[in-house]
Amino acid sequence: MAEVTTVIGDTIRFVGNLSGDEDLTIRGRVEGTIQLSKTLIVEPTGVVKADVTVQNAVISGVVVGNVTATDSVEILREGRMVGDIAAPRVILVDGASFRGQVDMGNLEGVKREPVKRVATTPSRPAAPPARKPDVKAAAAPVPTAKPEPVKAEAAKAAPVRAEPAARPVDSGKKAALEAPKPKLMTDKKRKVVVKKH
Amino acid sequence: MTNTIIGNTIVIDGEISGEEDLVIRGTVKGKIALKESLYVENSGNVEADIETRNVEVSGTVTGNIVATDKVEIKTDGRMVGDIKAPRILIADGANFKGNVDMGR
Repeated sequence: MAEVTTVIGDTIRFVGNLSGDEDLTIRGRVEGTIQLSKTLIVEPTGVVKADVTVQNAVISGVVVGNVTATDSVEILREGRMVGDIAAPRVILVDGASFRGQVDMGNLEGVKREPVKRVATTPSRPAAPPARKPDVKAAAAPVPTAKPEPVKAEAAKAAPVRAEPAARPVDSGKKAALEAPKPKLMTDKKRKVVVKKH
Repeated sequence: MTNTIIGNTIVIDGEISGEEDLVIRGTVKGKIALKESLYVENSGNVEADIETRNVEVSGTVTGNIVATDKVEIKTDGRMVGDIKAPRILIADGANFKGNVDMGR
């Protein structure tokens, strides 16, 4: 145990701003703000009502407030948290209790970040089709023709039209070749597009 | 035992409802309402609002999830949307952005 871990014991109540460059274990009650460049550990008896900015947070107690971490936030089985989490890694273990927003920042894995709620941002996913204009230009009448009968789902369908082109590029080209066929399908309100290579 | 599988070249646009497990390896857009479990596998891409008992996400989900039992986002899972369920698990490596509401 070369590293000294500061511990706030379980009968201690601290109100104010806490900052430091080492790990901190909280077993008591802290209110205010916490700023650490290392790890915050809130043990099962710990109660934190503060906005927390740390490198890592491991929560087994109660945290009410926003947690911003540069590395990870982990809520363990006895952990209870209400507030927003902003961290590149977020782990919620089975049994953990959490309510609030989770923001992982760079969603490089998610293909379309702007499409948060499918209905709300119809304009942004127009960007992906611009990337494949050759494929989409030929198939343009196909996707735009489809939303006409399906107006109720236009909000969902319009941004969503762009996506099938983004992923299966080959089948997108084939869809362009098969453009006349899907036009017939516009008669149907529900379309089930089965694309086979 | 899973009965229904949506293969990875299948694209469905519409509403799915049912009383059995569903495995998605392809693309589904619209709405999903199940009484049992939904499994979105690695190649699965779901852009839909989901109402089921359990969800296990190993692929991509964009949309809100309401589950009566549990939502699990696995390591390869990516999700953007709100989750409302009594139990929520987010594994290390998972990617998630949205609101979490555990009810209590």
